[in-house]
Amino acid sequence: MSIASASAQIVSAAPADRRGIFRLSIGTLLLLPALAFLFFFLLVPSFTLLGSSVLTQSPSGDIGLPATLAHYDRLLFSPAYQRVVLRTLSISLWTSAISIILAYPLAMVIAYGRPALSRLTMIVVVAPLVVSVIVRCYGWQLLLGNSKSGVVNWLLASLSSSSPGLIKVMYTEWAVIIASVHVFLPLIVLPIATSLARISSFLIEAARMLGAPPWRAFLRVTLPLSAPGLTAGVTIVFALTAASFVTPQMVGGTKGSMLGILLEQQAMTVFDWPMTGAIASVMVAIALCSNAVSTWIIDFFTRRGRSQGDH
Amino acid sequence: MSGRLSGGGGFITYSAAMLILVVVAAPLVVVVALSFSELTFATFPPKGFTLVWYEKVLQDVDFRRSFVVSVCIALGATSAALMLGLPAAYALDRWDVPGSATVRTFLLSPMILPILITGLALLKFFSQAKMRDAGINLLVGHVLITLPYLVRTITVSLELVDRTLEEAAMTLGASPFRAFLKVTTPQIVPGIAAGCLFAFMISFDDYPISMWLGDAEYTPLPVYLHDSLNRIFDPSIAAMSSLMILTGVLAVVGLEKIVGLRRAMGV
Repeated sequence: MSIASASAQIVSAAPADRRGIFRLSIGTLLLLPALAFLFFFLLVPSFTLLGSSVLTQSPSGDIGLPATLAHYDRLLFSPAYQRVVLRTLSISLWTSAISIILAYPLAMVIAYGRPALSRLTMIVVVAPLVVSVIVRCYGWQLLLGNSKSGVVNWLLASLSSSSPGLIKVMYTEWAVIIASVHVFLPLIVLPIATSLARISSFLIEAARMLGAPPWRAFLRVTLPLSAPGLTAGVTIVFALTAASFVTPQMVGGTKGSMLGILLEQQAMTVFDWPMTGAIASVMVAIALCSNAVSTWIIDFFTRRGRSQGDH
Repeated sequence: MSGRLSGGGGFITYSAAMLILVVVAAPLVVVVALSFSELTFATFPPKGFTLVWYEKVLQDVDFRRSFVVSVCIALGATSAALMLGLPAAYALDRWDVPGSATVRTFLLSPMILPILITGLALLKFFSQAKMRDAGINLLVGHVLITLPYLVRTITVSLELVDRTLEEAAMTLGASPFRAFLKVTTPQIVPGIAAGCLFAFMISFDDYPISMWLGDAEYTPLPVYLHDSLNRIFDPSIAAMSSLMILTGVLAVVGLEKIVGLRRAMGV
């Protein structure tokens, strides 16, 4: 606050023509601490880590020249590593697709439902968001357990008269997908609900009055108009799933291993920093690419919406 | 608004939503149910009702120390992020800064980067810089993940401020600083409080940063819980998890009370 008070006094004392420069310098001064913090603790460390991916590690552990792309080559083209890269992408895609389908009913109840139900849905959706991912994965370990004491298997056994076979989904890709959907669902429901709440009810009424059945009004009016929220949400889900560590580690086993697991092994067990850097770079690239694509799509929809509004 | 979900389509939407809510709640419900079980193994179905596991957890010295560590880091990180984020968000909203869009993206960028990698990059940076105090390292890491959330909430709060009131105050002779303190601040405090609470929970629940930066002395609660899963097999794990769920539920109730959950989440 002392900076703000000092700056305020300077501004009120300054003559009008010099105000522009003062405003500029005060704005910069207020921004400086946050920017400096991010520069030292985000930018410098990230570039050091990602930069090491094109360098060579000597037997003694020093990282330096010659520059090489060998680590990327190994990560992307050797079968053992390539499998993990592809599995990471496929788990992320499945998680995104399932999240979209589950998110719409929840978002619609939040945006349009009766107040009590909307509130209840909001609470149940947001509550897991503030519970540690460790606790949520532990819950899925209990639910999906492969033995008779797994909750799902126990329920199936007690519901049916004959003894059904055990469902063995734990420690597979699908366990990771199920848990990831649960972990990231709030992050797609909330932006979709925001988009839905902004759609004028007149548009949907108009569609209905012109004879569109509800499902058609949903597909032709509601869905396109909620596209920005959907895109933003699905991007977050995809990017975060691709970068996850806890879910594959706790419910994935070796069959559900992902890039995050590989990263931790290379850094903490193998101590191969260039390889760690290469894995990190690929993970950052996935995050940045999905983000760029999403920004582009949202721009496209907003521009189209605006130009259609003009006609 | 309530008329928009009616008829057959509305019924299907409601039923689907309720079904999904049951699945969403299931992992947490199962954990809580198990924490009261009288069995000595954390297996389903639970049997009887007992509070011994909670007693065991609350008497566990390591659990209590981890809890204190987590609360201190979350408090410290949230306050530090607030001190960095409030002036920055204010500057972006009110003062003419060139390239403000780029600066805003940069301030929000820790949200886009995978946290796992932010943590690992910091670990490497700290070891090269010979910074060996795990407490401070954890604090820095947690400021990094809470800062973007605070910047975003504060920005939204500032955008909602009625600027004509501020101008009126200044026309009536208040200095910009006084106008900010007396007119703007009361309007943004609830939003910022909600943002702080959310930031606190993000730090309190974090695992991907803490797993790299913690050590034997500074073990945040999620790391302690994760380590315990490999060596404790009785329901005290479930009791520990239930206590963390309780903290989360309290936070949600807090958010609902302060500004309303929909506004706190930007819906």
